[in-house]
Parts: sequence; structure tokens; C-alpha cells
Amino acid sequence: MIHLTVRNLHKHFGGNHVLKGVGFEVKGAELIGLIGPNGAGKTTLTNILDGAIKPTSGTVYLNGERIDQLEPYEVARAGLGRTFQVTRSFRRMTVLENLQVPALAMDRGESRAEMRDKAHDVLEFLTMEHLRNEFAQALSGGQQKLLELGRLLMLDPDVIILDEPFAGVHPKLMEIIYAYIRRVNEAGKAIIIISHQMDSIFSLSERLLVLNFGDLIADGPPEAVKRDPAVIEAYLGSDEEEEA
Amino acid sequence: MMRQVPNIAAVLFLGVLVAFPFVYTAGDYDYVMHVLITAFFYAILASSWSMLAGYAGQFSFGHMGFMGIGAYTTALFCHYLWVADAPTGLCDEVEIFGTWFIVVDAIGVTSSTLTQDCLREALAADPALSVGRMPVLLGIVLGTVMGGLAGFLIGLLVLRLRAAYLALFTLGFSEILKATISAEIEVTRGQAGLELPSLYESGITLLGTTYDKTAKLPPYFTMLGLLLLCLGILTWLARSRFGLFVRALREDQDAAAALGVNTTRYKVLVFTITCAMAAAAGAVQAHYIGIITPNLLFLLQMSLVVAMAVIGGVENFFAAAVGAIILQVMLELLRNSFEVGGYEIDMTIWRLVFFGLLLMITLRFFRNGLLAPMIEYFTRGHVAKETVARRQAAEAAFEAGREAGR
Repeated sequence: MIHLTVRNLHKHFGGNHVLKGVGFEVKGAELIGLIGPNGAGKTTLTNILDGAIKPTSGTVYLNGERIDQLEPYEVARAGLGRTFQVTRSFRRMTVLENLQVPALAMDRGESRAEMRDKAHDVLEFLTMEHLRNEFAQALSGGQQKLLELGRLLMLDPDVIILDEPFAGVHPKLMEIIYAYIRRVNEAGKAIIIISHQMDSIFSLSERLLVLNFGDLIADGPPEAVKRDPAVIEAYLGSDEEEEA
Repeated sequence: MMRQVPNIAAVLFLGVLVAFPFVYTAGDYDYVMHVLITAFFYAILASSWSMLAGYAGQFSFGHMGFMGIGAYTTALFCHYLWVADAPTGLCDEVEIFGTWFIVVDAIGVTSSTLTQDCLREALAADPALSVGRMPVLLGIVLGTVMGGLAGFLIGLLVLRLRAAYLALFTLGFSEILKATISAEIEVTRGQAGLELPSLYESGITLLGTTYDKTAKLPPYFTMLGLLLLCLGILTWLARSRFGLFVRALREDQDAAAALGVNTTRYKVLVFTITCAMAAAAGAVQAHYIGIITPNLLFLLQMSLVVAMAVIGGVENFFAAAVGAIILQVMLELLRNSFEVGGYEIDMTIWRLVFFGLLLMITLRFFRNGLLAPMIEYFTRGHVAKETVARRQAAEAAFEAGREAGR
């Protein structure tokens, strides 16, 4: 079973204490939302989880393996994949080549034909099969987001972090992303979604983590978190405030 | 068929290059052959630099430095190391399996007659002593290995450097190398240059014809062969996972790493391989020319290689190689001065202006060079039509499914 353990993470950038002892666990195919105001430390936490930056102190274990000191490619191979807040497709490579990169990097012993078939299935699911030979730079912003999700399907990690998957996306593409999240989750993967779109995050998530100025101020079911006074004060705001 | 046009053109171009030395008979044969050998030399540098900069996005300006490492390694090896059947008693020497390996004195340029050379003194004392040079091929292999090793080390050092910082670091490396070679006169003979044995010092027989060491045909096919070997290796690499990963590295290093690509390994590998190619070209060229000086490492030479790759097409090493050959030939053709209305146009200078203008126009209007877009037209011209056809087929299938469901 998938088991991600984050313990007492601290991160300092100079005098700026960005993460202040963040800790949580993910067990099994959980669908988790990670929310918080700008500057809360969400991106820093993501970058630590994927190995892009190292924590000042604290540990991260994935399925019993310590991953907080690994390089990003080692973290990916250990079973944690992510998308980026700003889409980062390989623009001067074709859609198919974009999908081949993680498949070949993982080196699971699949034949080229098997990889092609898998890529075909992924593109069909993302309604992008007709674009397979186009350069990624020819795709719309939404399609590039889908392509990033497709690369994660090819990487096939245990834990997936989606950083702002709904930002600037057309409602029709949003439906595809919803379907993607449900499909991946039903396939037994744990998903952590970072988003400022409250409707989406509350409707999709089974559990919410709320960060505020580097502190994890709430961790629980969405309905409970919604009513948490600390969360209301720090991030959501009250109905009275909205009316005012 | 359209997609095969670049392949057919490449085969025809290669056919012309192979046949040329046998069908060209004009009086300037040696000069024209020399121009083409030099063009092949630049083609190796431009195509390997294209893999490094165009494919992998590592804009190194130290490529001529690695070329120089190859050239100077074989030069020092062939200049200082000799073999003899008996000890000289005067030089530093060691016996291995009955053969004496002799290291002659580093005497710099203090004597033009080399009378201080311990080996010459030994030969004068014992005329029966049999001495010989080290094999040129071994020197070239050593030069290639040293170039690759230097590329490996520089690749490790520049792991975290990107864009302008990488360019400046590698430029600095090349300049330091040039300054060191210039300064170490005792060993490298500085600007006086080091003499090397010819590629085929004892001559060579090809297809029943014997060529002496000054003949142009053997080095022509040697350099052309090395170019084809390099292009073959680059093609194999580009089509393998290596090619895919280094292009991903160029596009977005962090995203590639997040998808499981060991970016450190591929960055170091691409430096090692392309620098070894530059070093091999330098070693062969040094033996062909017969003398090398630190001027080989001038920044202008590096600029020439970059310009050739950019004008051909930096993201396609075939385009970079063909661009280098065409430009080298054009630069020579443009040497001929002419008169306009009684004024003599000195093309030895104006040709460089022409070259600079061509580079500026290419950079402004043709981001991927002049030849690469032509190749892309034939190899990718069909993609847009295919995309539209696939989309229409998918829409038709969707509509048919909906009709059937009603």
C-alpha cells in the first residue's frame, strides 16, 4: 500500500522561515487537496517532496524509502510525480516524444511497441490522439496541461502532485481533468491537488490540508475544514465577510 | 516519397564528395582538395557543436579548446615520445617488452637546430641506433580520449551553469588553455608551434596507387571518413533515448528530472561525446597540416564554428555539417578580388563582411538556420494535414456513435 510520511519539515530561505514543522501522512489511494493563501509554503512543500529543494530539517519517506535527500529523478523513480504551476511541456518536441520521455526514463523493460500502445491509450483518453505528431508548442495552453497529465500517466508514479491543474482551463477541458483525476485515483494512486479553485477542490477531495505561513493549520475532511475557525480566518473568510 | 527527399539529397551529396577527387583534374587540384579537407574538419566541429548546443541546449564556447586538446595531445605524444631498439643513455627512457621508450628533452625554441636534443646527440654518438616515432593513429586515439576526458570534467563542473554563465565559463576555459599553451614555450614551443609527422608519413597505397605523405587524396578520405563516422554516431545517438533525453534537457531541465531523467548523467555524457569528436577532428587536422600553434584556439575560430552551425541549422547536425562545408567553400571562392568602375574590391576583407551579414540575416529571420527548415519541410510537411485528417476522423466516429445511440 502507498505510504507517504512527511515529518516535521522546516525550510528556511535566509531569514524567511517558509515551512514550520509541517507533517502529515498519506496512506493508500487518498485524494487530498492542499490549499492555503499565497506565500503559505505550498510550492516549497511540493519542491521538497519532489527533490527539487532540500529541507532545512525533517524527513520524507515514500513506501519506507527516505526521499528527502534524493535528486528529483530519483524521487520520480521512487514513485512520486508532479506537474508544475506553470505548464512545462517540452515545446520543441512532439506530443508523442513528450510521452516517451518518462516511459523510457523509467526503463521498465517495456518494448517500444508496448510504449507506443500505452501512449496511444493515454492520448485517446486525453482526446489528443490526432495531435500526436505535432510539436507541443503548437498546442493550446489547456492542451499543454493535458499533455503534462499524460506524461504523468506514462511515468505511472504512486503519488501524484497536481499543482494548479484547473488554472486557466476551459470548462470542457476541466471535465477531462476531473475524469483524469478520478481514473488515476481509482487505479490506486494517491493524488495531492494544489488549487485556489475552492469549488473544484472541495468537490474532488476526500481530505484537505491547509497551510498558512508555513504552518499546517488543518488536516481533515473538507466539511470539517470548511468550518474550522482557523481556516476561515486565515484563508476562506466567513459568510458575513463575503456579504460585507 | 517527400520524406525521403533529404535522404536522397544526402546520398547524392555524399556521392559527389566521394567522386570529386577522382574526376576533378584542374591545375589547382591540391588547393581545392585542401579547402575541402578543411571544410570537413569544420563540419565535424559544427555538427558535434550542434549536438551539444542545438540538441542539448549547452551553449559551450570552449569547443575549439577541446579540439586543441586533441591536437596538442597527439602533437606532444609524437614529438616527445620515441621508440628505440637499445638504450640511448642520454634521454629519460624505459624498457617495456624489449622496446625502449624514450622521452626527448623539452628544449623549447632555444635552438632552431635542436642540437640540445638528447636523441640527436645519442644518434650522433651511435649511428647504429635504430629509433622510430610513435604511431600517428595511437596519437590520434590518445588525443580523442583526452578530449573526451576533458569534456567529462568540464561537463561535471558546469552542471549547475546555464545560458550565459555556461558560455562564459567554457569561453574562459578555452582562453586559459590557449594562454597556457602560449606560455609553456619550453614544452609547447609557444607561437613557434609544434611540428607533427604527416597522417601517412611513409606514404600509403590505395587501390593500387601509391600516395606519398604530401598527397591530398589520403587525408581527404581520412577526414571525410571521420566526418561520416561522427555523423553516424550522432544519428544513432539522436534516434536513441540519449537523443530524446538531451532534447528534453534542452527544453526544461527541471521537468525532465521530475519525469525520471538523470539530467546529470546526460549532460556529462553529451559533453564527453561531443568534445571527444572535436578532439579527434583536431588531432587529425594537426597531423594533416603538420604544425600546430595556439592560434588554432582563437576566439575567431570558435565564432566561425558557431556561425557555420547557426547558418546551417543548429538543431540539426546534418544541416550544421553541410552548412559548414558550403560556407568554407564559399569563403574561399569569395577570396577572388574584382574591379568595379576602376575600383578594386579587396574580397579578402569584404568576404568576412558578407559572412557577417549572412549570419545576422539568418539569426534575425531564420532561427533554425537556412538548411534545417528545408529538411523539416520535407520530413514534417505532412504533419499538419495528418493532424486535420485524424481530428476529422475522430469527430466523424464520435458523430456516428451518437447517431447509433439514438
